[in-house]
Amino acid sequence: MSIKSRWTEFRLGIRPALDELKFTMRQIRKSPLSIAGVVIIGIFAAIAILAPVLAPSITSDPYMMFHDGYSLIPLPPGTPISDSYIRNLGWTVHYFGVAQGGLDIYYGCIWGTRTAFRIGVIVVAIGLAVGLVTGCLAGYYGGAIDEVLMRFTDIVLAFPGLILAMALVIALPKEWSIDFGFIGLAIVIFLGLIIVGRSKKLTGIWPFMLGLLGLVAFVIVDTYALGTPYPIFVQGITLGSLDKVLIALALVGWPGYTRVIRGEILRVRQEDYVEASKAVGCSDLRIIARHILPNSIYPVVIMASLDIGAVVLLAAALSFLGIGAPIGFADWGQMISLARNWIYSGAANPWQYWYTYIIPGVFIFAFVLGWNLLGDAFRDILDPTLRRK
Amino acid sequence: MGLGTYIVRRVLLIIPTLLGVVLLIFAVTQMFTPAQRATLYIRSERQANQINEIIRIYHLNESVLVQFKDWFSQLLQGNLGYSLTAAAPVMQAMFQKLPATFELVVWSLPITVLLGIYLGVQSAVHRDKLPDHVTRTLAIIGYSLPTFWLGIMLMAIFFADLGWFPPERMGTAASTFIYVSGSWHTYTGLLTIDGLLNGQPWITLDVLRHMVLPTMTLIIINIALIMRVMRSSMLEALGKGYVIAARAKGLSNVQVVNKHARRNALIPVMTVAGLLTAGLLTGVVITETVFNIDGIGRWAAIAAGGSGGVPDIPAVLGFALFTGIVYVFANLIVDIMYAYIDPRIRLM
Repeated sequence: MSIKSRWTEFRLGIRPALDELKFTMRQIRKSPLSIAGVVIIGIFAAIAILAPVLAPSITSDPYMMFHDGYSLIPLPPGTPISDSYIRNLGWTVHYFGVAQGGLDIYYGCIWGTRTAFRIGVIVVAIGLAVGLVTGCLAGYYGGAIDEVLMRFTDIVLAFPGLILAMALVIALPKEWSIDFGFIGLAIVIFLGLIIVGRSKKLTGIWPFMLGLLGLVAFVIVDTYALGTPYPIFVQGITLGSLDKVLIALALVGWPGYTRVIRGEILRVRQEDYVEASKAVGCSDLRIIARHILPNSIYPVVIMASLDIGAVVLLAAALSFLGIGAPIGFADWGQMISLARNWIYSGAANPWQYWYTYIIPGVFIFAFVLGWNLLGDAFRDILDPTLRRK
Repeated sequence: MGLGTYIVRRVLLIIPTLLGVVLLIFAVTQMFTPAQRATLYIRSERQANQINEIIRIYHLNESVLVQFKDWFSQLLQGNLGYSLTAAAPVMQAMFQKLPATFELVVWSLPITVLLGIYLGVQSAVHRDKLPDHVTRTLAIIGYSLPTFWLGIMLMAIFFADLGWFPPERMGTAASTFIYVSGSWHTYTGLLTIDGLLNGQPWITLDVLRHMVLPTMTLIIINIALIMRVMRSSMLEALGKGYVIAARAKGLSNVQVVNKHARRNALIPVMTVAGLLTAGLLTGVVITETVFNIDGIGRWAAIAAGGSGGVPDIPAVLGFALFTGIVYVFANLIVDIMYAYIDPRIRLM
């Protein structure tokens, strides 16, 4: 279809995709819960974007909460800021008080929003990407590759997410030497053989299998013939605590997506329009990208939006257990973990230090609630069996 | 296929899954350096100084296959290494700490399931009315609360402020009686039951009082799951022909709901039992840490944090392996119960 005819359709308002989008928007506006979800996430997005304005940073790493002295006990909201540099910026009071060690709670909450978005979005994006590729392979081609992938997801899903993530976080090394030459060469061999296979008129799963065979052969040659993994271009990278959490959560998270995407593809694979596009001679890639995915992506979108909340909860739990973000990092979970000593401090007023644990807790709760409301609304609106009722 | 054949087939099917669980844990061990890995083979504190010896004996510098053989044979002998945080071998520590955790689960599981089913049914019967809105709102709040923050808030309210329900597993008087007096016999390891068997009901009451807050936390976190499934399956059942027939017959609403709709709607709830198990296993790690209860969950949490920044690797991996195995068996039991209730499953 040419761009011009698309424009004509668009102008006349007969573009079906646009109609669907408008319909979805109308549905979102009709449901109060989804409006609440959109508003909450919108506010958090604004906080994350405006973080440097709302809470100007004075250190080289803005994600470390700023110190105002080293007070051993928490100080209540309204305590004046003593740091003259910050005062000159026009910020004179600790709005949310000061946590143990002189850490400003307001600063931590504001920049913690960025941390939360970063964790949620990155982990879910990796899960989605890996899940899309593996789910498509398993669902579209079936057979041995499906069997292997599904058994593997079974095993990962046999562990509760938090517990496997715990084990992975402590297992990941701080200094990681990665042989980028090896990885690059492996990718080149894999993709190259797939392209060669396709040009040699191999169809279906076979170019992929050829690539896999080449990959295995390369690994064996590299490991056993050239010596225990033969280094090609080794580069050491340093993993911070938060990077470890991100990697661990991504490793734990992707099998869920693989299974959902595979299930959806199995559902639409037998549809007439897929058979028709095969009959016309469309390539596998085109069939998957243009015909199968657009019809099976909705449940995955819902899952992803619900998952952002769940991932942030998991990351907060890891921080609480002391293996997530380091002390002083702008992360809500870490802030609550730091506040634990002040809950029953023996003070005459049991709520004396309320601001240290209630304020960050409300931030996490509202953030996760927002995503859950949004996901719930999406579920009702995007589900094709419910949407026109 | 008869039920017996189905059970045999299903039991045989867990062997590859269990093997996979073991392989995944082994893969995690391979991410450690040989010296860290050596801690997995230590049996006592004395051996902690003989790391190089252990690396040599268990071929920790050699190829993956050789290592797997050694590791697996140790595993079959029940040797999961020595836990420094528990100051005992991992297996022994696990058995020591299991009763406290089990007691927590035993009390919160039935309440979660029964209350969840009740609320789900009420929500479905009063669809789009006040009870429905209230339960759905509570469910979504329960979904969004961080477990540890909920525990902390409950403790701030009911312990720090009101002083009703203290944390930890029991009070000083009870622990003195159990560990010091010498007249205590351990029958089951569950203090609530042992208290009665020892003729000391006050210990049972004391332990129950200490368990209120952790149990409440576990229930609030997990109940949303049951409630949602029950609501949707109940809504489906209420629209079925046999419910309409029962109504047409002139049965009262209570009879229709209790005898016809609810019974059939209960079956799908069992499918989430696996998820509930996972929720409880994760939940105890957090709740035991927050309420300072000496169970396997808190042990795993302390082990992950480690002492002086060095994590207690054998304890964390042993606990992960344990949860994986529990989860696999929970799913096995669910499948068998499912096949028992619904004969169609056996034919698939």
